[in-house]
Amino acid sequence: MSGRASSIIPNSIIIVGGGASGVVMAAHLLKSTNPDLRVTLIEKRPHFGQGIAYSTLLSAHVLNVSAAGMSAYADDPGNFWRWLHGRGLVDQEQTPQTPFYAPRSIYARYLGELLDELEAREQPTGRLRLIHEESLSITPTASGVEVALANGTSVVAHMAILATGHDEQPAQGHAVRMGSEADTALDPESRVMVLGTGLSMVDAFLALEQRGHRREIVAVSRRGLLPSPHRKGNPIKLDVADIPLGTQLSYFVGWFRDLIRENQKAGIDWRDVVDGLRPFNQKIWQNWPASAKRRFVEHTKAWWDIHRHRMAPEVYAKVTQAVQSGRIRLVAGRVVGITPGEAFSVDVQSRHSQLVETFDVARIYDCSGIVRDISTSSNSVVRSLVDRGLARPDPMRIGLDVSANCEIIAGDGTVSRKILAVGPLTRGTFFEIDAIPDIRIQCARLSKQLLG
Amino acid sequence: MLTKKGKYGLKALVHLAHLPAGQLAFVNDIAIGNNIPKKFLDAILGELRNAGFVQSRKGKDGGYRLARPADEIKVGHVVRVLDGPLAPIPCASRTQYQRCEDCNEATCQVRHLMLEVRQAIAEVLDQRSLAEMRDIGLDDLTVARVIDELPVTVKVQA
Repeated sequence: MSGRASSIIPNSIIIVGGGASGVVMAAHLLKSTNPDLRVTLIEKRPHFGQGIAYSTLLSAHVLNVSAAGMSAYADDPGNFWRWLHGRGLVDQEQTPQTPFYAPRSIYARYLGELLDELEAREQPTGRLRLIHEESLSITPTASGVEVALANGTSVVAHMAILATGHDEQPAQGHAVRMGSEADTALDPESRVMVLGTGLSMVDAFLALEQRGHRREIVAVSRRGLLPSPHRKGNPIKLDVADIPLGTQLSYFVGWFRDLIRENQKAGIDWRDVVDGLRPFNQKIWQNWPASAKRRFVEHTKAWWDIHRHRMAPEVYAKVTQAVQSGRIRLVAGRVVGITPGEAFSVDVQSRHSQLVETFDVARIYDCSGIVRDISTSSNSVVRSLVDRGLARPDPMRIGLDVSANCEIIAGDGTVSRKILAVGPLTRGTFFEIDAIPDIRIQCARLSKQLLG
Repeated sequence: MLTKKGKYGLKALVHLAHLPAGQLAFVNDIAIGNNIPKKFLDAILGELRNAGFVQSRKGKDGGYRLARPADEIKVGHVVRVLDGPLAPIPCASRTQYQRCEDCNEATCQVRHLMLEVRQAIAEVLDQRSLAEMRDIGLDDLTVARVIDELPVTVKVQA
């Protein structure tokens, strides 16, 4: 790389972050036929398409969404399934409608190969450039943006799209993150604690199984609820005219509970009602008053998540078996004290009895979810944008404040024309924007908005 | 179809949208000013309070006010709370579906068209805020004026 480019190329776009959302964004931009388009994808990890979610090598870590939902392209939902089929990774008699939860490492391979193909295709056109380097900051210039890299050089373009994905914040207190450097070898006969009982806890359990860990896993969360399993179904049909928008949270929840009850009376599974609402989730979120959003995040989200973000039936069977055998102990409560020593003595106050029980554990894993205060982000690009007032946290502080067109909103409320964002970073505005089925739609829309 | 309840609710909210921020209105004043039966209005305001569109205060200085700025409250959102799903005819609703006794819903072309009409209703009503409705100048209402100027005998009833 030759350092600073001398002139701005028309239609040039830098994507900061080459994980799943960055690759999906690049793929959608490159559908444009504009010969002057220049897409630069920057990723600090050795491989593209492998952010936090898809870098696991464990075959037990499967996708939480069936193959049909995981295509990188919004207008070609069968793309991933055909790729699987073409490589003999699904049974030949399976149809795209058969639920299939592929290992996440396979999905990373799919995204990697998709990018390789794009790179080969665009080789003669020069429309795609891949850079393996860490991005440090984005600075708006008179004609576009400049992205400073950790190697001391910088890249310029008309626009930058942030696709930095989930925040990789260090674990809190004495806890460690699964697979981090602090997650050293562990005596398989030692009891461990997991903070969280959601899908990340399930991942931790599967990883511990794989490593031969045998003793009790104490999983603690406020409510101690496990996510539900998927079941093949038919989402109910709803129109926007049916759904109460802009009301207080309690009113909406009352309506939704009634809707589930009525459908269940007609023999319809609750999953089909939850999934029937999906096309409208962003609209519902965007129309809620700030107070309803806040209440949802604080009180209702835990319930919503276990019904909405489900796991593959095989994984659920494994987890419930472990709960029944006592291998996993689910505790509804909160940690009120930790005494470090040879092992940790952790005091947990029960949500129901208020009694405090002490657990001696060799390690505490932090699986308490990924939503944290964005202004303390570990991502230097995000933090430097907020520090300089070029971006601001959304009112919930779960992401960056962006317009409905994915444009970053500055500290003074100015909407940026040059810096945009996709994926989990935009969840304050788009709510459910963590999973590929939603991210690919966002990327398709943004690509159309930018390139026509 | 917009029921009387929906219409009264919207009138009451427009009344409240005219007040300076924070000021409350007596139910009686809203009822008299808009020609709404008081008991009916009480019930309507109660539902609007449950949904979070208005706030009330009890006592001598009590009354109602908007819970949020008038430009944040969309007309379509209010109508759904008072009248249920937006639908031009009862069979054109997914959640409050009422089967017509006299036709087959799968083959009824009227119903198919009305399902399209309800999307259009939602598009219009969800774009318009109470503030916009409040600020509609009566001079702009040419259609309404023409109707008003018709001889009484053929006047179209709302």
